[in-house]
Amino acid sequence: MTKTTRILTVDDSASMRALLNHALTAGGFQVDQADDGQSALEWLAVNEVDVVITDINMPRLDGFGLIEQVRAGSRHCDCPILVLTTESSDEKKSRARAAGATGWIVKPFDPAKLVDAVRKVTH
Amino acid sequence: MLHAPIPSQPAIARIVVMQGQARVSGDPLVELTTVLGSCVATCLYDPEARIGGMNHFLLSEPPSSHSQCVVDEHYGVYLMEVLINEMLNAGGAKARLRAHLYGGANLRTGMTPIGTANASFACSFLEREGIPLMRSDLGRNTARRVDFRPVAGQARCRIVEATSIPENRPAPRPVASTGDIELF
Repeated sequence: MTKTTRILTVDDSASMRALLNHALTAGGFQVDQADDGQSALEWLAVNEVDVVITDINMPRLDGFGLIEQVRAGSRHCDCPILVLTTESSDEKKSRARAAGATGWIVKPFDPAKLVDAVRKVTH
Repeated sequence: MLHAPIPSQPAIARIVVMQGQARVSGDPLVELTTVLGSCVATCLYDPEARIGGMNHFLLSEPPSSHSQCVVDEHYGVYLMEVLINEMLNAGGAKARLRAHLYGGANLRTGMTPIGTANASFACSFLEREGIPLMRSDLGRNTARRVDFRPVAGQARCRIVEATSIPENRPAPRPVASTGDIELF
């Protein structure tokens, strides 16, 4: 029996989380949600996950901080992390890459391309 | 008899916010302005940080693979997020944001009521995000001009001739919505 890919989406926008949830569950994935980087870290401390998809601009702990802390820990340090953001600057993309992001997706996202990207990083 | 010169009022810089744009300012001499038909303009302001901004959106038709939808909310959510992020980058706090909504008219009978869809989306978005809606003028069948002072959070909304706005059909899905993906 094939294990369902579990994804944690991290975004402070409830509207964006709803769009992601719809797109990813339609793609056959199991989706959990956190509303900022700090909530994501607390969730990751007690749960297993195959992919993290995170926004950059969030209160308490932003996407850069989340990636850095996940990579610095041992529990999910090898987990693919996709950044999904409205930011398009090369400087922020480079910063995400240096922090350990696996990929960079510019909003507004295309559901089919997002699903395809998740499949690529999990195989 | 000599009169003291009347001090001239500082000039107001008017910035036009076009469809698909979002603008934020903390300058008390800036006024954001737009003309709306079925589009909706969201005006956000943070009364403590004394900044504000406006976006101007028209929900797009979904791609052909999404035939079950009347409109595609991805673009609306995106433009709302762009505006909110610019507010945060300028020193605003999401918990302090207040909103006005204008537009969403259905100018032509017999066509898809895209104005109603735009207005409904904007109201739902603000509710989901917990941003209080302080003032709105939505719906009906009249074009509007909105002038918004972002620092004061004050807006003036006037009815204008529909001929003063470009024809508003549901926009095709924007090129930017291809959701470019780069794997490192």
